[in-house]
Amino acid sequence: MSRQENSQKVATKHVKRTAQQAHRHSKAGCLKILQRLSAYLDDELTTDVCKEVRAHMGACPKCEVFLDSLRQTISLCRHFDAGSLSPAKKLQLRREIQKAISRA
Amino acid sequence: MYVDNADRMYRFAQRLCGEEEDARDLVQETFLNAYRGLPRFRGDAQFSTWLYRIASRLCLAMRRRRKGEPQHELSIEEFIPTSDGELRLQIPADGLTPEQALANKQLRRTLRQAIQELPAKYRLVLVLRDMEGLSAKEVGTVMGLNERAVKSRLHRARLFIRRELTARGMGSGALRTEKGG
Repeated sequence: MSRQENSQKVATKHVKRTAQQAHRHSKAGCLKILQRLSAYLDDELTTDVCKEVRAHMGACPKCEVFLDSLRQTISLCRHFDAGSLSPAKKLQLRREIQKAISRA
Repeated sequence: MYVDNADRMYRFAQRLCGEEEDARDLVQETFLNAYRGLPRFRGDAQFSTWLYRIASRLCLAMRRRRKGEPQHELSIEEFIPTSDGELRLQIPADGLTPEQALANKQLRRTLRQAIQELPAKYRLVLVLRDMEGLSAKEVGTVMGLNERAVKSRLHRARLFIRRELTARGMGSGALRTEKGG
């Protein structure tokens, strides 16, 4: 085995071990990750904490599915268009405001 | 003041209130309050931020007066799924862009209802941050909160909406059926 192959094998083992360690959790482990998911999706975590979240995701398919559904939720909220005022309603509302101001 | 900000404030009010009439009332009250308070506007924040602050306070006051308005605190623990069925969104949006998915009336209604069921202090943060596109710092200025509190409320609000979208399953293929005709 070449030196490069050996180091790749060691690195793979390390990633697997890290993932297994990260997944040695119960509800408390998932809760810790769950608390950070918005910050993770908003890119607000430090590199180390990001790695921790990714390692957990790699080892916990349920949290990965959950993360994906949260990402979809945020995307839907960001694209959710509200109704707009027609020019006629805008003018009418302006008149109502002016009337209320003149009464005050 | 009105011409430059009416559309923005109406959109904000619609997202907060869900109903056109309530939104119009909120916009009217906001501009009326802004007009009265104009001499006190110091210019240390953007004018739109100041209007958002007035509208947010009015919204919270209106909601407090309303019976049955959800006001409870949201804890992270309550959003942990207890079964596999609660993991995925029960909306078949895979492969669709958010715009395509939101072309579905049922999904829009479900999302609007979920937003309305959020306690007001969480709803305000979600609408300001994820829908109006303000930064966490700006949301903090509007609501008188530090960034940490804004992010904490935002996270709980998002988890709430995710859970509601999951719980109110729309039936397999609903989006695609409408999209296809």
